[in-house]
Amino acid sequence: MAQQEFIIQRYNPDTDESYEESFNVDVQPGQTVLDSLNAIKWEQDGTLSFRMSCRHAICGSCAMKVNGQSMLSCQTQVDAAAERGDPIRVGPQGNQHVVKDLVVDVEKFLHQFERAETWLEPYEDQDPPEREYRQKVDEFDHWSHASTCIHCGACYSDCTVAAVDENFLGPAALAKAYRFVMDSRDAKREERLKFLSEEQGGIWDCTRCYMCVQACPKDVLPMDAIMELRTMAIEAGHTNNHGVRHHKGFTSGVRKRGRLDEMMLPIQSVGIGRLLTGNIDAHKEMMDYTPGAIRLLKSRKLLTIAQRHGANAEGREQIERIFEEVEAEKHHHSVDADAFGAEFETALGGH
Amino acid sequence: MSKYAFWPGCVARGAAPELYTSTLAVAEHLGMDLVELEAAACTGAGIISDGEPYLQDVLNARTMAMSEQMDLPLMDICSTCVGVHRLAAEKFRDVDYRIRINHHLAPEGLEYRGTADPRHLLWILLEDVGIDKINSLIKKPLEELNLGPFYGCYIVRPERTLDFDANPTRRNSLEQLIEILGATSVTYDGMTKCCGFPILTMNKKNSLTMAGTHLDEAQSKGADALVTPCPLCHLNLDAQQPDAAKVIDRNLNLPILHVPQLLGLAMGLEPETLGLTRHVVDTNRLLNKIGA
Repeated sequence: MAQQEFIIQRYNPDTDESYEESFNVDVQPGQTVLDSLNAIKWEQDGTLSFRMSCRHAICGSCAMKVNGQSMLSCQTQVDAAAERGDPIRVGPQGNQHVVKDLVVDVEKFLHQFERAETWLEPYEDQDPPEREYRQKVDEFDHWSHASTCIHCGACYSDCTVAAVDENFLGPAALAKAYRFVMDSRDAKREERLKFLSEEQGGIWDCTRCYMCVQACPKDVLPMDAIMELRTMAIEAGHTNNHGVRHHKGFTSGVRKRGRLDEMMLPIQSVGIGRLLTGNIDAHKEMMDYTPGAIRLLKSRKLLTIAQRHGANAEGREQIERIFEEVEAEKHHHSVDADAFGAEFETALGGH
Repeated sequence: MSKYAFWPGCVARGAAPELYTSTLAVAEHLGMDLVELEAAACTGAGIISDGEPYLQDVLNARTMAMSEQMDLPLMDICSTCVGVHRLAAEKFRDVDYRIRINHHLAPEGLEYRGTADPRHLLWILLEDVGIDKINSLIKKPLEELNLGPFYGCYIVRPERTLDFDANPTRRNSLEQLIEILGATSVTYDGMTKCCGFPILTMNKKNSLTMAGTHLDEAQSKGADALVTPCPLCHLNLDAQQPDAAKVIDRNLNLPILHVPQLLGLAMGLEPETLGLTRHVVDTNRLLNKIGA
């Protein structure tokens, strides 16, 4: 049996005191961080507060920060968390109000699912099936990973956008929304994509930082879900926003030069169309970029167009060819998809 | 002499030219032969794939196929580039997908065989060049400096694509380099978080709050400067620093160094050669501290 030091971030709401407290615990091979917290509570300090229930990585109650990263404490072994005999640091989840010690108020996190209405909305013009609503196996296979969320909050706790913006829907609710967008039994696909594109704090506010993918104990891959939602939203025609203009401007720059065109990108993100039609917000946004552009010029960072480095001539020719081929292939696939869709609807009896 | 297929990335050849020039200067002293992939395209940085994931994959297969054809290891100097390259390489383990992608590479005589192992200069310094060689080239140990690492997301996440288990030095590569060069590494919460750059044009307030928060935290923990392997982070942390200071209402004055600039300083190269005069946040105070 070995001794392991735990440094626990504590908070006492009665005195409004935050402090760190160190505990030494005798640990056995295979012992988890949660086992150790229980040992502390039972044998050393009964006032230590944390959430737990199943101890089998199913209920999602015991997500907390271990050495700065959110994870399920019941799924994390002491051996894996302890580096070279260093103490293990345990703290409450981030981006949420701490109620006491390791217990956070999950209201804000759960509210995001309500905002995104993450429940099945069946087709109203169809009678309910005799037995259950059924999903095709190959369709389910594509998104089943996203249905395994246990609402533990680890992704939200580590989300870099939720850290600065209360309004962000967050990785878990967006992954759940993705799960219903993908579900052919759900009637609200179009409404969902529109909402997720237009809502403040929707899919275009994600930074692609991969924190949620790293934190998720169930491999839901929330960020990948958000990226797929973006692609589907663009295909569904929800393109009047900065995120899509940024994507389109970036992509057209790469098509032309083989490389990113940093000078044109801010203008394209604001929207050349918006600027030309005298949109006041668009002109204000452009003004916001001006001091930054001047700073870049002053520090000789923005090169003249002649000096800017693109792919060489041969490279540009090949890149243009690839763009054309992929476009043609995509068109071909969408024709296939339409045919498949029609066939699928016929099989269902049409709706 | 070790030879690499070198993908500088768009920003090093655009708005952060000092990263490009300092990389070449340092490589020469380290005896690295860099063959630049002039015909390659942008990685897409996750932005092309917002709407065109397949197109982004083809472009990256092409770049990796070029390095295979030259039979050289692929070197990136941007956290985003290396992360996107490795994410693409992961997808191409699926042989059927690779065959489909290769149809677009065949017309120019390329084929991606799935062997590329894209690495960042920072990793190559620790894994190929080695601590002994670096030590032998240090002329000016940076003992007076307290430096905050700022990784950039894709060089630390998602771990499954980065081979951390086989290469444990990658977990804290920046701290190691800082310490090898004689400086002290400053630990702070923001060092592995997002700089905010990807959403600068979508949500400027969120973007600059992120940059400002991390800068303020590192500064208050005594960092003289930050070091980053990501030129996109550099743009938000350096070029946007005055605006970030306004957004979080704090005074910020923290120079941001690229990895080869830091190494070059320790090797005694001139600040001008390393492009340290091309920053938005003035580097003079830092240079005076080490007498460069």
